[in-house]
Amino acid sequence: MIGAALAIARVKLVLELRRREVVFAMLLFVAATIVIVHFALRADDGAGPRAAAGMLWAAVVFTAVLGLLRAFAAEAEEGALDALLLAPVDRAAIWLGSALAQFGFLVVVEVVAVPLWWLLFFQEEGPAPLPVIAALLLANVGIALVGTLAAGLALGARTRDVLLPVLVLPLAIPLVLAGVTATYGAFGEEGGGFGPLGPLGFLALYDLIFLALAWGTSEHLLGD
Amino acid sequence: MTLEECSKRFGERLALRKATLAVEPGETVVLLGPNGAGKSTLLRLAAGLLRPTAGHARIDGIDAVDAPRALRAGMAYAGHRSQLYRGLTARENLALHARLHGRALDLDGSRAAVGLADRADERIDGFSRGMLQRLALARATAHEPVLLLLDEPASGLDADGRTLLDHVLLEGRGRRTQLVASHDQDLPARLGARAVRLDTGRIA
Repeated sequence: MIGAALAIARVKLVLELRRREVVFAMLLFVAATIVIVHFALRADDGAGPRAAAGMLWAAVVFTAVLGLLRAFAAEAEEGALDALLLAPVDRAAIWLGSALAQFGFLVVVEVVAVPLWWLLFFQEEGPAPLPVIAALLLANVGIALVGTLAAGLALGARTRDVLLPVLVLPLAIPLVLAGVTATYGAFGEEGGGFGPLGPLGFLALYDLIFLALAWGTSEHLLGD
Repeated sequence: MTLEECSKRFGERLALRKATLAVEPGETVVLLGPNGAGKSTLLRLAAGLLRPTAGHARIDGIDAVDAPRALRAGMAYAGHRSQLYRGLTARENLALHARLHGRALDLDGSRAAVGLADRADERIDGFSRGMLQRLALARATAHEPVLLLLDEPASGLDADGRTLLDHVLLEGRGRRTQLVASHDQDLPARLGARAVRLDTGRIA
């Protein structure tokens, strides 16, 4: 199961390295969003840490949807999904492999987006980096798990380009709230609202719940 | 492999109407019929890639859509599209297939892979339709399936490719169950196979 998922993830990463179709578009989108919002908020006049945190997380989530729209594009080209569905592996491996690739794409995007965000929004003192990085990594897991499952669900729909954001964005709201709170907290401010777990604990719990949920349903969702 | 009163509807269109068909182990059956007759739908139902609107498609008595891993290990389906990744090389595509079937890649041991070895390390987005079809056939037979479902496998093949296809199907006769959709009216005779005709979703 894990071996099959890794093999599928590797294929997707190799395809992306060769074609540069997904990550390049995601990078352009996230960079453009951060620059536009920077000028719109006149961040150099002091947009405030909460606005800056919210801006980063909104940009990450919308950029993730852009990548998720292409989550199964390589399989759709020549019907490779049929071969994967007929392979003697758990069908959850198809979902998990695709989710691993999406996670990788998001990490690459954030390696560029976070320093750019930092540069534009914080001329003086920014947030502590470790909590922000931890929150982003935990949120990437959740977005990749939920988003890839939704992409598989929307695969057969004629209106999948519309359906996918409609499915993913409401499910991503808790991730954004926890992410913003964790980022705001990294400025030494009190974000609050996540009880004893804290925002990072909440993100980890979200990941575990959706990992179990998606694992259990992907067998049926990826078929006819 | 059996279809029992199997129907499939796509929206308003009934693509297959109460089709009943039994293919015995080791038997080769050729599905003949014009475009839109329901051949592809029947094959996808048999492969478990579609769920019937009514009736059952079964393999070894198990509903095809619920085929467990052990059953899927012995099945192969090649449809109108190659089911390959266009950005990968031929070797990488076959290696992924072998990996998912828990096998080692054996390009030399496959008759269907004849003619592919020279171009094994080329990305397949530069391949002709015929080469893609050959590669799809090599992929479908690489894990030595006991049930082979082929949808118009000769489409796009040149004369050598069609001869190769006939060899592959003749070799498989008696050794595996083969269900082949084709427009080639002479194929059943060449293979010594049973012909089943489909027209407007019905088995004639």
